[in-house]
Parts: sequence; C-alpha cells; structure tokens
Amino acid sequence: MMVTLTVNGTQHSLDTEPDTPLLWVLRDQLNLTGTKYGCGIAQCGACTVHVGGQAMRSCVTPLSAVQNQEVITIEGLSDDGLSHPLQVAWREIDVPQCGYCQSGQIMAAAALLASNPNPTEEDIASSVNNLCRCGTYLRINKAILQAAEARGQHKNQTQGEAS
Amino acid sequence: MITSLEMSRRGFLKASGLAAGGLVLAFQLPLIVRQARGASPSGGTLNAFLTLDPEGRVTFFSPFIEGGQGVYTALPQIIADELDVAFETISVEQAPAGEAYKIMFGGTQRFTGGSMSVRSSYTAMRQAGAAARQMLLQAAADRWEVPIGELDTQPGRVVHAASERSIGYGELAEAAGALEPPTDPPLKDPSRFRYIGKPIQRNDSTAKANGSAQFAIDVRLPNMAYAAVKQSPVLGGDVASMDEAAIADRPGVISVERLPGAVAVIADTYWHAQSALDALPVEFENAAAAGLNSEQLAEEMQGRVDEAGMTAESHGDVEAAFLDAERVIEAVYQMPFLAHATMEPMNATADVTAERCEAWVPNQGVDVVVQQIAEITGLSADNITVHTPYIGGFYGRRFITDYGQQAVRLSKAAGRPVQLIWSREQDTQHDYFRPMVTLKHRAAIDAEGKVSGWHVTVVGDGPFKRLMPQFMQDGIDSSALEGVTEQPYTIANRRVDWVSHDYPVKIGFWRSVGHSYNGYVTESFIDEMAEATATDPLEFRRQLLGEAPRYLNVLDSVAEMAGYQPSVQEENGRRSAYGIALHLSFGSIVGEVAKVSIEEGRPRVHKVWCAVDCGSMVNPDTIEAQIQSGISTGLSQTLLEEITIENGEVVQKNFDTYRFLPPSLMPDVEVQIIESGAEMGGIGEVGTPPVAPAVASAVYKLTGQRIRRLPMARHDLTASA
Ligand code: FES
Ligand code: FES
Repeated sequence: MMVTLTVNGTQHSLDTEPDTPLLWVLRDQLNLTGTKYGCGIAQCGACTVHVGGQAMRSCVTPLSAVQNQEVITIEGLSDDGLSHPLQVAWREIDVPQCGYCQSGQIMAAAALLASNPNPTEEDIASSVNNLCRCGTYLRINKAILQAAEARGQHKNQTQGEAS
Repeated sequence: MITSLEMSRRGFLKASGLAAGGLVLAFQLPLIVRQARGASPSGGTLNAFLTLDPEGRVTFFSPFIEGGQGVYTALPQIIADELDVAFETISVEQAPAGEAYKIMFGGTQRFTGGSMSVRSSYTAMRQAGAAARQMLLQAAADRWEVPIGELDTQPGRVVHAASERSIGYGELAEAAGALEPPTDPPLKDPSRFRYIGKPIQRNDSTAKANGSAQFAIDVRLPNMAYAAVKQSPVLGGDVASMDEAAIADRPGVISVERLPGAVAVIADTYWHAQSALDALPVEFENAAAAGLNSEQLAEEMQGRVDEAGMTAESHGDVEAAFLDAERVIEAVYQMPFLAHATMEPMNATADVTAERCEAWVPNQGVDVVVQQIAEITGLSADNITVHTPYIGGFYGRRFITDYGQQAVRLSKAAGRPVQLIWSREQDTQHDYFRPMVTLKHRAAIDAEGKVSGWHVTVVGDGPFKRLMPQFMQDGIDSSALEGVTEQPYTIANRRVDWVSHDYPVKIGFWRSVGHSYNGYVTESFIDEMAEATATDPLEFRRQLLGEAPRYLNVLDSVAEMAGYQPSVQEENGRRSAYGIALHLSFGSIVGEVAKVSIEEGRPRVHKVWCAVDCGSMVNPDTIEAQIQSGISTGLSQTLLEEITIENGEVVQKNFDTYRFLPPSLMPDVEVQIIESGAEMGGIGEVGTPPVAPAVASAVYKLTGQRIRRLPMARHDLTASA
C-alpha cells in the first residue's frame, strides 16, 4: 500500500507495510537518523517527533496513522539546525552528555513550548518525561526555561516593533 | 629515530585511512612519551596525536572515546593551552587502533574506563602540545635566522617582538614537521593557563542538539542490510533448531543466520529483520543457567558469609579484637544484578570482504575489537579498520563487544555490509550485569565503647576474575573489593576477606564497578557503628578521620554546604532528614549529603550536595555535569534498579520493567569542587558510590529501618514513616 506523508516539508510516497513504525521509516528509508530508537514501546521518548504539531513517540506510531500528515523530525526543527531557541539554550547550557536521548528531549520540549510558551517547572515535568540515562535532567529543565524566556523576549521585541 | 618516525607516520596514515582520502597532511607532530616504563632507559614510544594543515587547522586524534563524559572537550583544552592555539581551531577525531595510542600504564594500554581518560593522559597531552609548539618555534627561528629564545607565540602564531614579525602556524607546518621532536619540551606555567581549569563549552552540543551527531547506529552504507538477533532466553544456551521456511516469504528477508548461541535475520530494513525474527520458530538447548533463580542464588551466597575466604587486606589483629570485644554488631547486605541500559542499544555495523574489514563498533577499547575481528575473519590487523563514533552511553558495558563480533560474522556470511541492532529486549537480557554480591560486616566494640575491630567478608565475583584475569592480584579480584579495602577510618584492627562465588550469569563493569556496592555497604555499616557507639554519623566519621585530613576536609565541606542537621527536621508538617556519606573512588574523594523525606512509602530525595576533591581539574563545567550524572545513576540504583532471574531467564526485558531514574525523581544537585593539589583524580564514576549510603542514612533517621538490600523499591516504608 502506498502511504503519503510530508516529512520536514518534503512529501514522500512510500510503498511500505502500513503497520511499520514511523521510527524505522524515518531511519531506514528516509535516512533521517537524528530520531533514535531506545525501547520501541513508548517508554523512553528517544524517538519523539512531531505529527501535526503534537509530540509523538514514533516507535509506536504506525505509518498508516501519519497518512497525509506533516511530520517534523529533529532535522527539521530549525532551518539551520542551530537557531531554535531550544537549540540555542541546549548549546549555551551544554545539556547533552552522550547525546543519544537529546533529539527526543528537544522535540518533546519544542511541542510543549509551541502549546505553552511560558511553562512552569510543573508543566515541564508533566510533558517532558523522556528518559536520559546520563542524567541530564537538571540541565534539560534549565534549558527549557531559558528557551521559553528567550522566546518571550524575542516576541515582545517583535511586537514592540510592530506597534 | 628518523626511521622509526617515518615508519610510525606511514603506519598511522594507513591505519587511519587518511592517505587514500586525498587529505594533505602537512605534517604530523609526533610525541615522545616519557612516562616511565619500568626502569628501561630507552624510554618511550612514538605517538601521533596532532596534525596541522597549511591553514593552521589542528586535528587532534583522541585515544579515548566520547560517550558523554566530555573527553573530546577536555583533552583539546589541554592541547590548546600548551600548543597555544584557540580551542575552536582544534577538531577531534577518534584515533585508530595501534600501538601509537597506547598511552596508559607506561605505554601498554589504551581503554576508556576507570575514570582515567583525563588523569592518565594529562601530562602526555601537555607534552604533545608543548612539543608541537617547540617545533613551530624552531621552524620560525630557522626561517628568520634568529635565536629561538627571542621568539614567543600568540594563539596560532609565532612572533618575533624585536623585528615586529609574526607568522601563522600553518605556514610553518611543513618545515616544523621535518624537525626532530624535542624530548623535553618546556611546559607552560600553570598561572598562564587559558583553557585548563576553565569551564570551556563542549564542542559536541550543537551536533547533539540537531540530530547530526553520528552514532554507530546511524551509519548508512551503500548496499547495507540490517540484522536483528535473538540469543537464548535461558542464559547461555545454544540453538537447537529453527524453522527458517516459516519466515522465508516475509517482506524484505534476505537470510537467516546461526551465530554462536543465537540466530539472526538479515533483511532490507531493521523493522523487517526484527519482525521476521519475532515470527521465527526457534528452540534453544544446553543453557548454562537452566533452572537458575536469582533469589536462590542470593540465599546460597548468604550461606557463605561465614566462610574463611581469602584475605585481601589485613591490619592489626582482628581475631584478638573480637575476642576482647565487649559487644559485637554484624549485618549482612545483599546487592542485586544491575543492567547498564545505555540509551543507544548494543549495535555494530560491519563491511567484510575477502581483503579487508571496516567496522563501526561502539567500544571502550578498540585494539581488542581489531584482534577479535582478525580472529573471526582471518584478516591481518593492517586490513581491519574499526571506527568508534560518538557513543550513546557506555558505563562499562562496551568493554565487551559481543555485538561487534556478531556483526562481523553476519557481514561475512551475507557478503555485504550489515548493521546489527539489538532490540532493547536483547540488550537488557544479554547484558554483562553488575555482579550480585553478598557482604557481611562485623564490628567489635571494646569496653570503652570504641570500635576496636572491623571484619568484612565479600561473597561474589567481580568482572576481573571473569573477563580480565590478568588483573587478578595474588588470586584476589580487586574489582569485587574496591571501596571496602583502603579505608581512611582509624580502626586499628581490620580485615577484608573474599569468598569467590561463581554462577552462570555474565557479569561486567558497571559505573563505579565494586565501588557501586562497597560504597553503599561500607558507609552504611559505618552508620551502624556510629549508632552502636551512640554517635551521630557525621561526628562518628570526624572522630575516625584524624589520620586522613583530605577526607576530613571533604566531609566538613559537604556538611557545611548542606547545612547538615543530625536530627529529623519538621517543615510545614513535612518530616525530612539529612544523610551523609564519604567515599574515595578512582582517585577522588567525594562527600555527599542527601535531604530526604518519605512520600507514599518511598524515599523522596529533594537535594544532593556534593563536595569532590579531585586534586586538580581541567573543566569545572564538565565536572559538574558528570557529578550530576553520577548522582542520577547512584540514586537510580538506590531506588529502582534490579535484574532478577527466574528459571535461567532474565525477568526484566525493557524499560517498563527495568526501571531507571526518570526526570520526576531527579533531585536538585549542588557541587563544590576542591582542588587540594593532590594527584588528579577521576570524575566520571565518582559521584555514584556515596548516593545510596547518604539516602539510606536519612531513611534510617526517618523510619528506623536500616535498608540492607537494594533497591529501596523492595521496601515499603509507609508503616514506619
Ligand atoms: S524508542 Fe520510542 S519511546 Fe523509546
Ligand atoms: S545524554 Fe545520554 S542518555 Fe541522555
């Protein structure tokens, strides 16, 4: 069966079994390896991507569920791979250690910020619950708060200019 | 000398695959490592860590892997200081296998582990940078025909103040490369360090924040197939039979292969391989662990705690102390098997042809991997290239590269590149676990109420005995005993005995190895001694540290930083308590205080304060990150982690049942680094051992329950809270 989906702005039509998890389509067929396999059972969040703007664990998302949908992976989060406020904060705070979980962490955090630009620590705790075996949790929290603040400031500036 | 340099250079170029790549290497800066190799006057080995291109870009070949611990940042910091270049101009590549990169233990070893990377290479890296700088100065002196003493460097340039001339390093690269390397280059005065000791930012954060960082699991080669593997669920079994025909028609399946103790399916995608394998009927037989139950094993080991064993360490007369004792206290502690649960599961990619093998194998020691591939393929080491990209966590697991051997066998069988990925279920069940260990501690209390004797028996094997018997000393496995031997406390009569106990479960090195349990048990028993002598745990330790001022300083520092309180605190109706612990591992002394309360029958750790005396340091920000990381691991094993075995099969198979610390349980962490000037200590593992005893100490204050078996998830603390 042909499944059509858009990934990071590019449309793909794939002749793949519709029950194939999106994770493996991204990694093995589209060579988008920034999205990681950690557990395959929705426990760790290493595979988090956005589908229609929502954070989804791609290891348990069948291809059929994203038919005609917009998928964003870590590779598509910002145009240059540098400028999303979370990427800036991640770099400034040096969040990553081994780095393997970090694509998923950032994608989970980005979905949160998109729906809640000013999250409290409790908001972060309830929506970014991805596992990190290196224990970078404290810096992840710090970076999300910093990114939210930076974005807020940026917004205020642009609004100020517009008015 | 020239000849050996030339040979080393050619060997290096070949081994690193650079010669064919068309990259112009202006020169390589060799290093004479002057680490003492016994009393041999002939000295050292030639090494090649640095290249400099005509544009002045420096490439550093790291003998250590980057798996999160920050070594790809710390080592270039050292080089940048001594070579006098901007840190940003250095790019890092993983050094290939080979003698040139064995810089540990007098030039005999190379591995990433034991929290040794920075401290074992600190001097060598300084010399590498300084020797290169000296050669550049000499090249400029030759060119300008001025005495070398009139020259100095600025980042990336040699300058001659008298004539107001300066020249970029890149322009000197070729001439410098033709020079004989100095044997004793002058090192920078530490007061002039620009990078060493500073919180320089990591050079891998950007790539790890946009998905471009390459792990072995991300390797993509033309014509590459994917493989999934299934090993005997009852540990240590062989394949008895399988029905390949049953999956022959499944999509994408290329072949079904037998491996030692396993079957594998090769397919066009990993998903095709794994789902076909899941459907493959296969029977295993002759399992070494048939019938084994971990609970029964624990009981067997507990039955041996009074055996004589082998004595690993003895001071004074322990027997006499116990004979003369007024009172004796004793306790038996039980520690579980633990899994590494690295986020990047075991995986490897291999491309084997008749002439050569290229492989990507996450590893902590590349030379062994090359050797294993040579044995499997019959190729000579010259024709084997092993790459070690960024590693998605290692913690000791990737010393053993069983998955790498499987990938090589599969590529050889399939005649094409193969990427093998262990499912999380395979990864968890077929780990080399942190050993199960039983420990008995006894203390003799004399008529004055002082501890006069301390006797410890450790029952259980460590990873040295199983995996690296060359490190056994007089028949003793120090990897099982580290952290209970070499105690700083002044107790005149003490002895540590070891009872080896074998079982058919694979064990290995787990973050902080023997310290992971000895830190907990030893420090918890120190608390038990404190209680027996009616002294607060902090005060008791202070009394026994009269001969160990470094330890005492760390203890006092962390107690002060935390505002340690001996008694249970009551704030807004919530009871909380402070627990304290102190432990030396890998050359660093670490004190930690945990502030804990009990919520719904479980310990809730609010904050951990940590003082670490690592002697001296290279990057304080990396140290903070590693201590946070070590504390997360320590708390994880305190609260949650345990592998159990029933009928020879590992019960926990994925993260739903093998639980490790989630973000909701991460405490706040505050770190104080103490540069005492002592020999540089390790960092990667040292935060882990003191967590469990600090938490247990607080739990005891809150509940009156002395936890002697981890994880704490086993214990319901509700009733006593
Ligand atoms: S891989 Fe999808 S949640 Fe772990
Ligand atoms: S950074 Fe290593 S698992 Fe999160």
